[in-house]
Amino acid sequence: MRLEKCWFCSSTIYPGHGIQFVRNDAKIFRFCRSKCHKNFKMKRNPRKVKWTKAYRRLHGKDMTQDSTFEFERKRNRPERYDRNVTENTLKAMKKIHKVRAVREFSHIVKRMTGKNAKELEQAKKELQQDISLVIAPSVLKEDQSLTLPAKEKVKVKVKVNPKQAEVQPMEE
Amino acid sequence: MAVNFASKCSRAGSSLLGGLGNNLSALLSTQHGTTSYNFLSQQVRTFIQMRTVLKVVDNSGAKKVMCIQALKGKKGARLGDTIIASVKEAYPNGKVKKGKVVYGVVVRAAMQRGRCDGSEVKFDDNAVVLVDKQGQPIGTRVFGPVPHELRQKKHVKILSLAGHIA
Repeated sequence: MRLEKCWFCSSTIYPGHGIQFVRNDAKIFRFCRSKCHKNFKMKRNPRKVKWTKAYRRLHGKDMTQDSTFEFERKRNRPERYDRNVTENTLKAMKKIHKVRAVREFSHIVKRMTGKNAKELEQAKKELQQDISLVIAPSVLKEDQSLTLPAKEKVKVKVKVNPKQAEVQPMEE
Repeated sequence: MAVNFASKCSRAGSSLLGGLGNNLSALLSTQHGTTSYNFLSQQVRTFIQMRTVLKVVDNSGAKKVMCIQALKGKKGARLGDTIIASVKEAYPNGKVKKGKVVYGVVVRAAMQRGRCDGSEVKFDDNAVVLVDKQGQPIGTRVFGPVPHELRQKKHVKILSLAGHIA
C-alpha cells in the first residue's frame, strides 16, 4: 500500500481516493479531491493559492526543515517484513508525532514574537500621519456644518370614524 | 370604504409585484451563476462513440481513425475497450491504408475511468492502438503512456511494447 501526495495541496492520498491525470509525456498528476483537480484545471499555481502546503512552505508559515520529516520519504525498495521492526515502527510513529507537534508549536511561537509590537508601531505611525482625519467630538458639537441635519418629526392627526373601522372584514 | 379598499388593493398588488421582482432577480442571479461555472469548467468528456476521431499511437501507418462501432457497452467505449474504426488519415506506404476498417484498443481516454481501488484515471487525449481480430497489435511500437488495466483486458503485448505504464 502506497500513500501518495496530492500534486496541488500536498495532502496524503489514501488508496481509492481522488483522481489521477496522466499527461502525454507520462507525468502523473494525482489529486486528493475534486477541489484540487478543479484548481489544476483552472491552471492555478499551488504556490500562489493560500491554502496549499506549497504556499505555506514558501511563505515560512510552516516548519520546513526538520529531522522528523526524514522518516516520511519515498522509497522504491520494498522493505522485508519483520515483526520486530514493525512493532518498533509503530511505537516510534507516536513519539515522532509528538516531537513534531512540539517543534511546530515552538516554530509558530517564534514566528509570532514581536508581532504585537510591530502592529502597535504601525498604528502609531498611522495616527501620526493621518491625525487630520480624526476630529474631536467637542468640535463636532460646536460646528453644526459637520453633522447631518436632524430629521424633523411631524405628527399628523388622522380622523378615524369608529363605525367604519368596525365594519371592515378581514381580508383572506 | 372605497378608499380603504383601494389602499388594500394597492398593498396587495405591491406585495405581489415585490414577490415577482424577487423571483426575477433570483432567476437572473442563478442564470449568471451557471454561465460563470460553464466558463470556468472544461468541456465535459464523454464516451468514445460513433464518429469519435482518435489518434493512432503505433507504427501501423494510420494517423487518425474514426470510431464506427464500440464492441462493448451501450453508450460507447471507454479506456481499455475495443472499437471498430475506419482509417481517416494514414502515412503513405504504411501497413494500413486510408479507408480501411480496422479494430483498435482504446489506450488513452480523456474521460475518467474508475480503477479497481476506487480512484479514477484520465488522460490528455483519445488514443488507440490498432489490432487485428484476434487482438494482436498490427504495429510493432506503442507511443506514450498506457494504463495497466490493459493486462486485465488481455492486451499484454501492448503493455510490453509501451514505454510508460500509468
